[in-house]
Amino acid sequence: MNMKARRIRINGFTDIPRLMSKLNVTTLPDFFILSESVNKSMPRAEVIDKMERVLNALEESIVGALSQPNNTESGMVAGGASLLQQFSAAGGSLLGTAFSQVICNAMAVAEHNACMGRIVAAPTAGSCGVIPGALLTVAERHHITHERLLRSLFVAGGIGDIISIRASLSGSTHGCQAENGSASAMTAAAIVALFVDDLSTIESAAAFGLKNLLGLTCDPVGGLVELPCVKRNVVAAANAVACAEMALAGIKTVIPLDEVIDTMAAIGNSIPSTLRETSKGGLAVTETGQRIAATLRDK
Amino acid sequence: MGIFDVMGPVMIGPSSSHTAGAARLGYMARLIYGRPIKKVQITLYNSFAETAHGHGTDLAVVGGLLGLPVDSPQLRESLAIAEAQGMLYNFVWKQNLAQHPNTARFLFYDIRNGNNRESGDGTGTFSITGNSIGGGNVRIIEINGHRVDYSGYHDVLMITYQDVPGMIGFIGDTLGVRHINIAYMSLARDAVEATAMAFLKLDAPCPLECADVLRANPNVFNVITINKLGDGI
Repeated sequence: MNMKARRIRINGFTDIPRLMSKLNVTTLPDFFILSESVNKSMPRAEVIDKMERVLNALEESIVGALSQPNNTESGMVAGGASLLQQFSAAGGSLLGTAFSQVICNAMAVAEHNACMGRIVAAPTAGSCGVIPGALLTVAERHHITHERLLRSLFVAGGIGDIISIRASLSGSTHGCQAENGSASAMTAAAIVALFVDDLSTIESAAAFGLKNLLGLTCDPVGGLVELPCVKRNVVAAANAVACAEMALAGIKTVIPLDEVIDTMAAIGNSIPSTLRETSKGGLAVTETGQRIAATLRDK
Repeated sequence: MGIFDVMGPVMIGPSSSHTAGAARLGYMARLIYGRPIKKVQITLYNSFAETAHGHGTDLAVVGGLLGLPVDSPQLRESLAIAEAQGMLYNFVWKQNLAQHPNTARFLFYDIRNGNNRESGDGTGTFSITGNSIGGGNVRIIEINGHRVDYSGYHDVLMITYQDVPGMIGFIGDTLGVRHINIAYMSLARDAVEATAMAFLKLDAPCPLECADVLRANPNVFNVITINKLGDGI
């Protein structure tokens, strides 16, 4: 491909089939690799290598997160993933160890972030546990090849990019639905891409992922990325697995992904600013939330 | 955006704006100051000030000033590293609604020499103000009282000089003969001191030799070059 090739414009998921046939690529990961390479004037090998480093950092974030209990000064993060690990090891898993691993790893990485651990903000620091928790666990449990897993990350990134074009990935703009909702949509799509290439199956998974978390507000206690953020990562990871499984079973989204994204933006615009990362409403202004915030300010 | 803006940055948590962005501001301030940092006052405004403690904003800013990238686990121990390296710092916390919610202002004290001409603003100090604008992205908005707009995506040249005719031509020619194209240029001047600052974004880095030629001009007080930031910073 000529590096000076014209920029590939993507305005929504519906543009993709047309662009793919025009550019003569057959899979979604190849399409996103090509568009990134052309739009950023980067050789294909460099694009792949960059994603290798992202994957490596995602894997390291799980190892780092599980290496010790994560506790924050506020007391709102108190070694939750450690407790989940012990509970599962003692045979307490409600639905088998695979599901326990999804929720434990999602929580661990989100807690690690709260404790100044090294994470990948994909798509944001506040939702950094979703991809490692759900996608990496499913890939491990199904012995997915390294190459296929790497390619699925381009699907996650590409879906996230489309959301950022049509709406936003920021909690201060559209609430938590834009962070953990988007993370869940990206992850559901990537999980599907581990197994099949079919565009409409991938689209359905992403649409389900976002639809299920529409309307989530961002009301963190004390303005910190701890409560409710950490457990939202667990919900978004579990949701991603459920949505991927629904899509793989052949269930199709009725509302196309682009329209779901536009809906997320419309809902986000009607969420009052008190519930968009300002900590002036919701859980942040509960009696307990305000007490915790006051204690933090006095430190 | 792009796929790697979504799938990243790789960073030390917990917040892209209050931790990674804060570290990046410190890192850019260090590059712009361009000399060993002996003493610096850091003013954190508004949301930066309110939630610094839980976000590690203070640790991140000092880590950036030490040259640590946004994904360095050493950011957690930055205050101890600063102490070991003899970098003096103090924090001021302020509320000012006229400022962006996430603003940091750096005031460097040049205790080695208080040369007015070199430091630029006539007080023996060097000031830089920046905003953390979301997703780990930042913008430097002020250098020594001159308004700028710099996010790290270009090679930059900043020149402080006596405000006399012909200086722009001199700068343009010096770059032009070296085939360095100017992408953007802004000028600001301090009427009281009769000094001016040119802020240029370049399509290629300004080589050391070129900066030395600019410095050799008797009307030039100070030349700062910054190469565009790479990944992970």
